[in-house]
Amino acid sequence: MGICYQGKTLDELVSERDQSFRETGHAYGLKELTLLDSDPAKFMRFQMRLVASCINARETAKLISANPMSIIQGELLFMLANAEGDVISTSYGLAGHIQCMPFIVKSLADLNFEEDPGINAGDIFSVNDPLYGPSHNADCYTFLPIYHENELVGWTVGLNHVVDVGGIQPGGLGSISTSVFTDGFTYPPTKTGHNFKQEKWWDLHWKRRTRTEMFNVLDDKMRAAGVVGLHDMIQEVIEEFGIDYYRQAMKEIIERERRLLINRVKTMAVPGLYNWLQFSSVNYKDTLGRLWPASNRNWILHKPAELHIRPDGTLFTDMEGLTSEGEFHVNAYPPAVRMLTSLGIWPMFAYTETLNTALQYMTDWNLPPGSMFNPQNPWAATTMGLGQVGGVIYQFNRNLSYAFFARGFLEETFPQDGAGSGYGVQGTLGDGFQWAGGDMALITCWGQGAKAFQDGFEAAWCGPNPEPDQGEVELSEFLQPTQLNIGRNLITDFCGHGKYRSGLEIGMMQMINQPGQALIIATYSGTTGMGGGALGMCGGYPRSNDVIIYAHDTNIREVVEHGGHYPRDFVEMTQMIDDGTLSVGSMELFNSPTPSIPCGDGDLFASTSGSMGGWGDALERKYDLVEEDVKYGWISPECAKTVYGVITDDNGKVNVEESDLLRKLLRNRRKERSVDAKEWWKLERQVVVDKKWHEDINNMFADSCKYDKFRNQFYGMWQLSEGYTLQEKVK
Amino acid sequence: MMERDDRFSKENLRRLVEGTLHWEEVKKAIRLSPKDNDRFWKYLEVLQEKVPWNDKILLRISDHLYIVAKEGGGRVTKCDCGHEFGDYRTNWKLGCQVYVRKTDEEIGEVITIPEARHNTDLVEMREFYCPGCYALLGVEVVPAGYPPMFEMLPDLDAFYREWLGQPLPDENPDWFQDKTIEKAAAWAKEG
Repeated sequence: MGICYQGKTLDELVSERDQSFRETGHAYGLKELTLLDSDPAKFMRFQMRLVASCINARETAKLISANPMSIIQGELLFMLANAEGDVISTSYGLAGHIQCMPFIVKSLADLNFEEDPGINAGDIFSVNDPLYGPSHNADCYTFLPIYHENELVGWTVGLNHVVDVGGIQPGGLGSISTSVFTDGFTYPPTKTGHNFKQEKWWDLHWKRRTRTEMFNVLDDKMRAAGVVGLHDMIQEVIEEFGIDYYRQAMKEIIERERRLLINRVKTMAVPGLYNWLQFSSVNYKDTLGRLWPASNRNWILHKPAELHIRPDGTLFTDMEGLTSEGEFHVNAYPPAVRMLTSLGIWPMFAYTETLNTALQYMTDWNLPPGSMFNPQNPWAATTMGLGQVGGVIYQFNRNLSYAFFARGFLEETFPQDGAGSGYGVQGTLGDGFQWAGGDMALITCWGQGAKAFQDGFEAAWCGPNPEPDQGEVELSEFLQPTQLNIGRNLITDFCGHGKYRSGLEIGMMQMINQPGQALIIATYSGTTGMGGGALGMCGGYPRSNDVIIYAHDTNIREVVEHGGHYPRDFVEMTQMIDDGTLSVGSMELFNSPTPSIPCGDGDLFASTSGSMGGWGDALERKYDLVEEDVKYGWISPECAKTVYGVITDDNGKVNVEESDLLRKLLRNRRKERSVDAKEWWKLERQVVVDKKWHEDINNMFADSCKYDKFRNQFYGMWQLSEGYTLQEKVK
Repeated sequence: MMERDDRFSKENLRRLVEGTLHWEEVKKAIRLSPKDNDRFWKYLEVLQEKVPWNDKILLRISDHLYIVAKEGGGRVTKCDCGHEFGDYRTNWKLGCQVYVRKTDEEIGEVITIPEARHNTDLVEMREFYCPGCYALLGVEVVPAGYPPMFEMLPDLDAFYREWLGQPLPDENPDWFQDKTIEKAAAWAKEG
């Protein structure tokens, strides 16, 4: 006798759900939406009750947390799933995570948790192990079954990103890990509480296996309180509407949304094949030495994504050619890909009354087994796989923008890219107190990419979190007193240029303040020296790179004491160094995630985040837009001249005649220094034939050519014989 | 042709295409639900009135590029300046003038923040220009030797028949085929 409807087991219920969709093409086999059609107002009232309950749970429970990411930066989520694991409604917050819950419930079914350890009313379960559905171990799930009489009728789920997860680096966005054993505290599905209360032993794990016991224990209590509170609210809804209505309406919501999403695609897009591409890297060579020999190398990560908008309105993404799995920190299992990339779909067409898992009924993926997004090694390191999956979010933004542009819905274009920079910090204060923390302030305020009709907005959004907030500096400094914020600034000229430009990149400057005995900072970045997405939009330039600088042994304290200006970002810092008002002993510059960097009192830590790509030919940007850019200092007169072909006078006024002439000259220069495509093809082919490239590039091509699709593309384009071979060479 | 849906007017669409539609009006367009169901046909009218040639536009695929039906048969990619790139099933980049920025100095012309520039040991920046008007049509930042990306191959027949309900007269399953490699093979043969 199972715990589900009509005595079915959880496994039977999940299998039936999958089978009915396969056979009918409708979620849960629902050809008719009887509850919705018979009384739409009641249906909407039911759905809004669910949404309100989730938001209520979030807003109440987060008051328990001390973690700034939960309290002020929106890095949490509360949701309601039906018994099968489909999420029906959510609070706002880290919305992508709803996609993981069907995989987590399936894992419980596969593991036969129903039999042992049992799934009983009041039991609390916890999981963050990506092998079982979660995305990466910093995102911790707590969930509770909802029972009606003796039937499992749903799950309430709480999720948040914890400050530190006990990996070999502080924080939850590590830049080094070779296997799950260095990822940190990673727990498979575990029954951690009963009778609606977490067990005491569970607190000890947070205290002993992570660096931030206070934050993490309180976060766990926040999640537990939230799921219990939500559970009680859902019981009230069931009582009001009746169990039969509740059970059926939960399914009808998914099928209604599936139909809506298909219809949106057919209304706004054009079927066909669309391509996106990104390169990234992992640089472990000479860092990990003999301790992890298989990891003592560099990788160029090759991430191609071909989106097929099918004639039936469904979306299929093929990532064949993707870099193989490795002993690096950026593997991710398929649920993590589903989870994070959904954030590229929602803003494009899947915005509906409530977030739910209907997307899983109209999106498919080819993630080749053995690739970094479908590792076959059950102990693969995944601590920051989301950093690489994060880039793939934007294949939807880019490809669907082209599809909407072609159809005439320019107002819906929203091509975006990934950016950084968050950081983890760990230290020992002067009195020996050990502490750790993390901050995602700059991951909450990216500039937008340019659209087909206008510039992107500044500091306006965040790809992985639809509900972002920079938070309050004062609270961050109270919790992390070594990180004194002395400046934030939009950086002149730091954007993707084009007929329309992206929002400017935002910079942050911190002064290290009395760290005591020791302090290290490890920073995450959305780039690795190769920019973001590899392709511009309609001739616009793609984004460049995040910039992270650690400046050691500075005289900033003297500058402060004498009432001098503080640098607000790395550009101002560099100018101050050049003009002699700031002295620096040494500097470390990164365009990529950084290792753990020791910092001392008076060091400066500069990071940037967020400019995206431009749209269209920069030489076609309207003069009045350039004039406004120069007037407000967004674009310098020099950049206006060299990139946009616009000459301004001392008052920022455009000289139309001279600008017209300059643009003509710049077009002529294009003509003079370009070659026809056939000539270029010959030159480029010779590079391939002679293998005249960096060792890491060689290894990337050799790896990706193991996959037929990319091999055919590569060999076909360069007309290579079968005798041409590429071997990975790792010194 | 379907009935005109003026909840979003052709004039506003023209302004949107030209980048002059006021943000308040753009927001109305974003909020329009359901969207105006004749948008595509209005879009074709606006575009056709802007280009200086008469070939029938089937689809706009980029700021400057269109797939057009040729009077004597065939579907080709065409720039608004009039330059034709040939069969739309072949990546139009193989019909461009190409300039490759390989050095820090060359990339520095368009990324003026030195610290943010790409690592030129690993990637190059390719610019694809129209041979007719020298508009910049595409930019790629990729390792040397990476095959040029075919950014968009529409399934035109499925679009016109199944989504618009107005099948094209020259329907053929072959239209949804990538022919790019055939051009590379022809170049190899020519030497």
